[in-house]
Amino acid sequence: MTLIHMNVLMAFSMSLVGLLMYRSHLMSALLCLEGMMLSLFVLAALTILNSHFTLANMMPIILLVFAAYVAAIGLALLVMVSNTYGTDYVQSLNLLQC
Amino acid sequence: MNLFTSFVLLTLLILFTPIMVSNTDPHKNNKYQSYVKNIVFCAFITSLIPAMMYLHTNQETLISNWHWITIQTLKLTLSFKMDYFSLMFMPVALFITWSIMEFSMWYMHSDPYINQFFKYLLLFLITMLILVTANNLFQLFIGWEGVGIMSFLLIGWWFGRTDANTAALQAILYNRIGDIGLLASMAWFLSNMNTWDLQQIFMLNQNPLNFPLMGLVLAAAGKSAQFGLHPWLPSAMEGPTPVSALLHSSTMVVAGIFLLVRFYPLMENNKLIQTVTLCLGAITTLFTAICALTQNDIKKIIAFSTSSQLGLMMVTIGLNQPYLAFLHICTHAFFKAMLFLCSGSIIHNLNNEQDIRKMGGLFKALPFTTTALIIGCLALTGMPFLTGFYSKDPIIEAATSSYTNAWALLLTLTATSLTAVYSTRIIFFALLGQPRFPPSTTINENNPLLINPIKRLLIGSIFAGFILSNSIPPVTTPLMTMPLHLKLTALTMTTLGFIIAFEINLDTQNLKYTHPSNPSKFSTLLGYFPTIMHRLPPHLDLSMSQKLATSLLDLTWLETTLPKTTALIQLKASTLTSNQQGLIKLYFLSFLITITLSMILFNCPE
Repeated sequence: MTLIHMNVLMAFSMSLVGLLMYRSHLMSALLCLEGMMLSLFVLAALTILNSHFTLANMMPIILLVFAAYVAAIGLALLVMVSNTYGTDYVQSLNLLQC
Repeated sequence: MNLFTSFVLLTLLILFTPIMVSNTDPHKNNKYQSYVKNIVFCAFITSLIPAMMYLHTNQETLISNWHWITIQTLKLTLSFKMDYFSLMFMPVALFITWSIMEFSMWYMHSDPYINQFFKYLLLFLITMLILVTANNLFQLFIGWEGVGIMSFLLIGWWFGRTDANTAALQAILYNRIGDIGLLASMAWFLSNMNTWDLQQIFMLNQNPLNFPLMGLVLAAAGKSAQFGLHPWLPSAMEGPTPVSALLHSSTMVVAGIFLLVRFYPLMENNKLIQTVTLCLGAITTLFTAICALTQNDIKKIIAFSTSSQLGLMMVTIGLNQPYLAFLHICTHAFFKAMLFLCSGSIIHNLNNEQDIRKMGGLFKALPFTTTALIIGCLALTGMPFLTGFYSKDPIIEAATSSYTNAWALLLTLTATSLTAVYSTRIIFFALLGQPRFPPSTTINENNPLLINPIKRLLIGSIFAGFILSNSIPPVTTPLMTMPLHLKLTALTMTTLGFIIAFEINLDTQNLKYTHPSNPSKFSTLLGYFPTIMHRLPPHLDLSMSQKLATSLLDLTWLETTLPKTTALIQLKASTLTSNQQGLIKLYFLSFLITITLSMILFNCPE
């Protein structure tokens, strides 16, 4: 495993931890999701370019597209929560309102 | 090699000259009016020459000038058809326009935009002549639309008046509905006969021609104000009197009839279209004659009279007599234009008073106008040996002695007697008796610009019928014998109408009614047709389309059916079935610990 790979994998795991452990804002989870996506993209692009695996050249781009979908849905959920509660604090999500 | 075609093209070209100088000096000063009038007079003289040549040799001509475009197999050229109809119509139209232009030099004297008025009248004349001389349907359509546009501009001449704008818009809308028919016919001819040239259409005379002929009948109904598309013609009296005299009595409204007359080779084999035309014309002539009986505005009475005569022309076409219809077009133009000019003289002299209940006693005050008005009314009703007699009487004779719809015939005969009734009404209220207008108006008809046009049209109203009937080449065998009672039908109905009307009108001086009766209300309000049809169908159409487009399509199909329903179902299902508490941070933390633990546990080398 080269140094670059380890670097990017560390970035990925940082974002993962940031996604799963956050204080109060739902927005920070979404941002960490984007960070995960970014590090995965860089990892995939580096590996594929390094090994000249031309057949899989499409994969990072398709990954981008699906990450865009995910971000859109995440933002829609955020907007719904923000419309109901005024903020996006996760403490208020236990009231089971819609 | 004679100069037939040159003179025809010269006539049309002469009329363009005042339009081309309209940006220069002659347009800005007072001499423009006489200039335009003299140009029209020159064009009239020039157009008499080909007409005389045609009467001498009975030789029709087709001038095909300039090849414009060929679209795949359709060849469009600038072509003029000089046959009986166009060669006879051109001098008549030019003569009447000349007289009306001289009249409007007197009538519109104090108008600051009089030069523009003359330019508009000239443009109208040019487009009318384009329509009349067109040999292909494209050129005819150019003329058709041109007269519609000029009619709009001229009806709305006094555009500060709301009624004038409404009337102009009404004219455009009703003409547009007719244009749908013309366009449908043009499309049918293009796709089935591959041409817009009249020669090829008449040669390829296929048999079931119902669709294009119905389209042409619709176009004629729109342009010539037949029943159903008629309200624009009385409303068009909002325009100045010269406009009413030129457009809405002699020239534009006969464009629809002229179209049907042009297509007579197609119509003479189609019984359905002839029946449709006959019944439509009969309904029109009776309905508008009834409406004319109780109008109080002199111009509206004459407008309804025009509409009634147009219905009569339609009846003639329905009887398969296109040449008689055309003769009636020419003779009707003379006396109807003269009637409008006389009413214009009366209106101006009484200080813009158009209500016949406020006129009277003009027999001694305006003797020349009175003479012209009475002769015009007599010519209209078909007094023997005046102009109207030579066209109206043969029509009634043809109607009574042909194998036709008896109901349509009855309606036409009733309308003939009603013609005499409302003519008597005009004469009685406007001319006879004691004056009912304020005495402070100065009544003066001694202006040569007023007298000369009416004099010319008067001579035309008396003699034109005789001259035209004896000069035209015979095309169908006229009916030589008929029973005496059929021969005298028209005269009897007219005399009956005169007598009854005169008696009833004399009664109005002695008897008074308190409430208008129901038939009187029907007639005054134009049969309730504009009241119902101008509000109800647009409201229904627009509200239906709003319901369809907005409520049904947008709100229901595109928005509610899939997206909102899906969201609703998901929401209900999740609220029903979930029993979570939403402790997100705890869930995420447990996820992280599990992942880390499993990665450590299953990755350590054994």
